[in-house]
Amino acid sequence: MKALAIAAVNIRRMLRDRSNIFFVFVFPMLLILVLGVSFGRGFEPRIGLVAVDAGPLGQDLARELEALPDVEVERFGSVDDLRTSVERGQLEAGVVVPEGYDGAIRAGRDAEVRYVARQSELGLQLSQTVRSAVAEQGQLLRAARLYVSEGAGSLDEGLARAGVAAQALTPVGVVTTTVGEEVFPATLGRFDLGASSTLLLFIFLTSMTSAVALIETRRLGLSRRMLSTPTSVGTIVVGEGLGRFGIALVQGLFIMLGSLIAFGVDWGEPLGSVSLLLCFALVGAGAGMFVGSLLRTEQQAIGVGILIGLGLGALGGCMVPMEFFSSTMVTVAHVTPHAWAIDGYAELIRRDGSFVDVLPYLGILFAYAAVLMGLASWRLRRAITG
Amino acid sequence: MRAALLIAAKDLRQRLRDRSAIMVAFVVPLGLAFVFDLTLGGISTQGTSFRYGVVDEDRSQISAVFVTEVLPAVQEGGAIRVRTVTSEAAGRRMVADGELTAMFVVPVGFGSAVEGSDAARIRVIGDVDEPTGTQVARSIASRFAADLNAVRVAVATVADPHETDPAELEGIVERAAALESPVEVADVTATTKELDMTTYYAAGMAVFFLFFTVQFGVASLLDERKDGTLSRLLAAPIGRGAILGGKLLTSFVIGTLSMATLIVATSLLLGADWGAPVGVALLVISGVLAAVGIMSIVATLAKTSEQAGNWQSIIAVVLGMLGGVFFPISQAPGILPTLSLVTPQAWFLRGLSDLAGDTGWTVVLPAVLAMLVIAAVTAAIASVRLDRMTRL
Repeated sequence: MKALAIAAVNIRRMLRDRSNIFFVFVFPMLLILVLGVSFGRGFEPRIGLVAVDAGPLGQDLARELEALPDVEVERFGSVDDLRTSVERGQLEAGVVVPEGYDGAIRAGRDAEVRYVARQSELGLQLSQTVRSAVAEQGQLLRAARLYVSEGAGSLDEGLARAGVAAQALTPVGVVTTTVGEEVFPATLGRFDLGASSTLLLFIFLTSMTSAVALIETRRLGLSRRMLSTPTSVGTIVVGEGLGRFGIALVQGLFIMLGSLIAFGVDWGEPLGSVSLLLCFALVGAGAGMFVGSLLRTEQQAIGVGILIGLGLGALGGCMVPMEFFSSTMVTVAHVTPHAWAIDGYAELIRRDGSFVDVLPYLGILFAYAAVLMGLASWRLRRAITG
Repeated sequence: MRAALLIAAKDLRQRLRDRSAIMVAFVVPLGLAFVFDLTLGGISTQGTSFRYGVVDEDRSQISAVFVTEVLPAVQEGGAIRVRTVTSEAAGRRMVADGELTAMFVVPVGFGSAVEGSDAARIRVIGDVDEPTGTQVARSIASRFAADLNAVRVAVATVADPHETDPAELEGIVERAAALESPVEVADVTATTKELDMTTYYAAGMAVFFLFFTVQFGVASLLDERKDGTLSRLLAAPIGRGAILGGKLLTSFVIGTLSMATLIVATSLLLGADWGAPVGVALLVISGVLAAVGIMSIVATLAKTSEQAGNWQSIIAVVLGMLGGVFFPISQAPGILPTLSLVTPQAWFLRGLSDLAGDTGWTVVLPAVLAMLVIAAVTAAIASVRLDRMTRL
């Protein structure tokens, strides 16, 4: 009972501080929003396109490029802007359909489409895509040219006839199928991937920085005063632990519900995702207590807290998805509890798993929590009584 | 002037003795840059080679053109590796295991179907998690298909094969085959104005923590006021300008010192490549000035130094995220890259990226100018407010 009172004091202290409100509640939501808006639409390569005064044939080619699947095509007004965007990496490549493209072809001359890319693998690869769109138009143009050179009529008539002929023929084609299990299913909402990793990053970060309050409690002599009352060391330790856990839980539930309401984030099966949250909040509380029991000053705790909070977050795949890590780094990542929790959420959200499917992850997280809590209470006992 | 220097020197000594200042200015940014580099440094911004497999079930002349001419030519261009696989089933397994990005299957009867004008299909089987790799494979096959189609389409455009005299038809086919496409694709190589991952995170963390490092200077005025030393300073024969100058100088010196140390440390320890020294120096100086300006305004809005610290942290974090210090927001689609240019962080990183293009240090001037404008505007606002703050 007394432990609950100590826990309640901890949560109230946290909520009283206005800047805490920002970092605990507002900033995570902001981050989910920004991540979702900027990167939520997946990693489709972007190609810029300049087709100014290129005439009807130029626009046909532009439409052909825009219709390419799995590539995002964005129009630009000038070649300079296009080139700058390519140089800065905002675009993977750029295509310039020159001015007077249509006129040159109609006059029987050759036209040159420019493909602008940085020296990169993806740049080389995407050039194949652009070349195939050009070849697609080229086949009709060749037919139309033959039509003109055979004296049958104008280029326009030839193009129209070539279009009809191409439709009527049973052409050589390409059928594409895919195999394997999608890591990021198409049904994944634009905020879904960022939300679970942000949740974990911030629960852990808040827990780490809440170590500061633990040190403050000792520095101000609060723990000694509590000890002078008929309260056992055990009760104080449990109370402090419950306080950290409570803070993590309040924050976690806020982020989950908030992102569900504001951005429609899919958290998967409720029982599974709340259980993961509970276990990870325990891990965070344990880690926060442990750091709080080891360090002496609040300044140290802030620095170490940010370093460990952000560092483990990055290592555990909270900042960049682990799918982009090398296989060695994926192994290293699983030293952190974050990686296991992310795997758990991936099971729920991307593979529609249920509570039973995340049980192994819950077990691992619980083990982390038990070890950290054990270490923390051992150290904290000594710190309080010492 | 002397008084300003004395105040700055005193503040600096005080700061450097404070372990948390050292932590924020040097240890934490370096530590985080190290962790980010470790986890994400291996991710290439340049992409990786696509690995394609090909099965020639047809073994005709036409399929041989695809396997022994078209694909090797593409491979020659780079970024694509092609190998033959024994069967479709084996290839599918390799694609599913991620060993291959995608595979081409030229099915039995492909060659005769092309010659007989029947439906002929090359099949592309791609890894579901490699949409771009699959798309590129499809493009390669499509281009080959378009070439095969071209003659047929051309002939059908000018003549009806069933009604034309066979000898005449043969002539048309020959002329059609001789025609080249009027459109060529020419490759233009653009300079890379992008930071590699290691430098990006080193620079991102340095400029992110810069905004925490410069907090101390002006916020310490609040401490001086609380402790009563501000009244004593004002009572002394020192101009208010000298006191303020001293405080701003402290921020500037600590900020520059922290940036310089981080630049040297990340270059030596992580192998970050910051670029031409003159350009980097200009970016650092203007970046520190902008940071001092912004943080000074925030400090003047607060009543106590704790409050100032809290607000400054919030501003530093929000501007940092928007400025792209955690993830490259400048490469995101939409309006965010434009929006991010209100922050000095974004300009700092843009300046460094432009510098990576290796076209001389003058490319940083627009970014430097933008940060100086931010610095001038914020400093003007801050000095008006600071003036009020130091009146008793």
